Amino acid sequence: MKTVVHGYGVDMDWMKVLADSLGGNLENGRITCHPAVMEGILYGCQINQDLSAFFQDVTYHQDINYQLRNTDDDFVGIYFNLTEGEAVQLMDNVQKPVGRWAYNVAVMDSTLPGDYLVKSGSKTYSISIFIRKMALRQNLQKIPNFEELKEALFDVAQNTLIRFERMSNQAWFLMNELRKTGFGHPLFNTYLTGTVYGLMADYLDQVLHQEIILDRVSQEDIIGIMTSQSALIAAMNGTFPGIEALASSVNMSETKYKQLFKKITGATANAFFLTNKLDTAKEMLDSGKHTIAEVAEAFAFFDASHFIEQFKKTYGFTPKEYLTLL
Amino acid sequence: MELTRKEFLYHYTLTPEWLQKISQNLGAALIDGKMMRMPQQLADGAAVFLEVMPGLSVFLLDMHFHKPIAITRVPKSGLYMAYYDLGEEITTHLLNGTPHKAGYSSKLGMAFMDSGIPGSILPPVGARSYSLRLLIAKDLLHQLAAQNHTPKVHEALFDESKNTLYFYSHIDSRSKILLNRLKDKNVEDPSFEFHLKYTALFLLGYLVERASRFDPIINKLSEQEILAIKASADELMNGLLSEFPSIQTLANTAGMSVSKYKLLFKKLLKDSPKQFFLKEKLLLGKELLESGHFESVSQVAYELGYSKPGYFAEVFKKTFGINPGTLIQSP
Repeated sequence: MKTVVHGYGVDMDWMKVLADSLGGNLENGRITCHPAVMEGILYGCQINQDLSAFFQDVTYHQDINYQLRNTDDDFVGIYFNLTEGEAVQLMDNVQKPVGRWAYNVAVMDSTLPGDYLVKSGSKTYSISIFIRKMALRQNLQKIPNFEELKEALFDVAQNTLIRFERMSNQAWFLMNELRKTGFGHPLFNTYLTGTVYGLMADYLDQVLHQEIILDRVSQEDIIGIMTSQSALIAAMNGTFPGIEALASSVNMSETKYKQLFKKITGATANAFFLTNKLDTAKEMLDSGKHTIAEVAEAFAFFDASHFIEQFKKTYGFTPKEYLTLL
Repeated sequence: MELTRKEFLYHYTLTPEWLQKISQNLGAALIDGKMMRMPQQLADGAAVFLEVMPGLSVFLLDMHFHKPIAITRVPKSGLYMAYYDLGEEITTHLLNGTPHKAGYSSKLGMAFMDSGIPGSILPPVGARSYSLRLLIAKDLLHQLAAQNHTPKVHEALFDESKNTLYFYSHIDSRSKILLNRLKDKNVEDPSFEFHLKYTALFLLGYLVERASRFDPIINKLSEQEILAIKASADELMNGLLSEFPSIQTLANTAGMSVSKYKLLFKKLLKDSPKQFFLKEKLLLGKELLESGHFESVSQVAYELGYSKPGYFAEVFKKTFGINPGTLIQSP
């Protein structure tokens, strides 16, 4: 196990420390490590005076224990993390699993230390955003019910910000969309910066429209709904399993299931299922390799017209128009 | 009604400087150097200007004008401008309750040009104007488009002594989805600036990707040639119910040889005149089917000048993937 002590920040001088600590090289914002440690892309860039981002798309070949000890205390880190494999965040000796179907958004004040274990064989795909506290506060203060939310957002006693949440569907698709443009393509930085702004916009919208604070829902219920979301994604190529089956598979009553699903994800189970289906179907169309009928069949739409109708309802035009105007 | 538009002059800069000037001239309030609000008697709504990153700024205009004005851009080289208009693309005017032939006018929602070419904003009076402009430094675009074509073609495309970058078109699907989503947001939302910057950066990416699929036609255009081709495209769009005029007639009207006319038309509109005409005709057909003013597909087909409704239905299905009949709405 390798122990890496490092910090983050809006100013990018931390990258050299991280590179050295990983035994890697830093060049033009990219850290290249020995392939025995990890393979892939570690890349950081400053977007403006108050905002910077760190992009990770790597496969680990060694267990790493990251110890986040920031030297700058003027920023908040917002971590969007889609790790597949074993990765846990240690917080007050409580393990929080991290990844696509666990807590995948963490918001942490820079004054707080963080410990993070990644096992060899894990694939990490993440975007970490560092924003100056002053700038974030300015944005949050524009929220009409900021005073009410303040208590939930900040640990008032310590005036620090720490939250573990679930990524919205929009954030998840933004992160995936970025994957289509390879690192090194001239447009990569443009899309990365765009994605960072999109994630920030979505995060603020989540805070703005949040009806409940996740921490007030029991851990067990959150895990139940996450498991269910996971099952729905896995079943995307089939038909909607039905509320009855979904609820019973996580031992909830139908009423409770429906309510919690809406509260936690912001959408009904059926809408969540259909949005994922259509967005993925749209990606299949983007590839240009499949006919509309093929796509309709791949996602178990009743027939092509049903697919066309749903597509039109969601995006405002038919799949064919979408392709014609692409 | 004859509109006498009061004219205001400006030229773009990547910084808010130009907006300060035009705000002063218009008597508009400029908040934080970003948001412009017009005097109430002139327009409701807002315009937002943001510097997105070095070399890229965005200007969003969401206003409802009460008085006719013309905001005219004085040519000044140095930038590229991409323009997206989300107003109605095709308007069908009614005369005594029936659509009148002279009343169809369609327009293209997107243009890309050099800021060295003059242009005007003529906002409609009494309707919502929703348009977005990207202002792009020439160096930035040159760099982002580096892999679009072979290095030789790429350099020629960006060599201003040999080529003029310009096109005029419908908004592509991916950009339209982004813009429709932005249109749903409130400019007062705390997240709005982030949404606008996100949209601007992705629009820029999509623009570069789209340009990589265009056949590179390297040709220097004069302002006069651009105006002639645009006028020709507009004439085709306003005459969608008539037969396609001969290429010879179109070239004569544009004051060019047939070969030059065909080349420049393709350069600006990315389709041949005939392809362009047929595509626009079908798009108009779709609008008419959805307008609720027609009872059958045949009526629309005859209105568009097809002698065989079955043929229209077939071409329509091939283009849009749906049976035209399913779009007919009872009046």
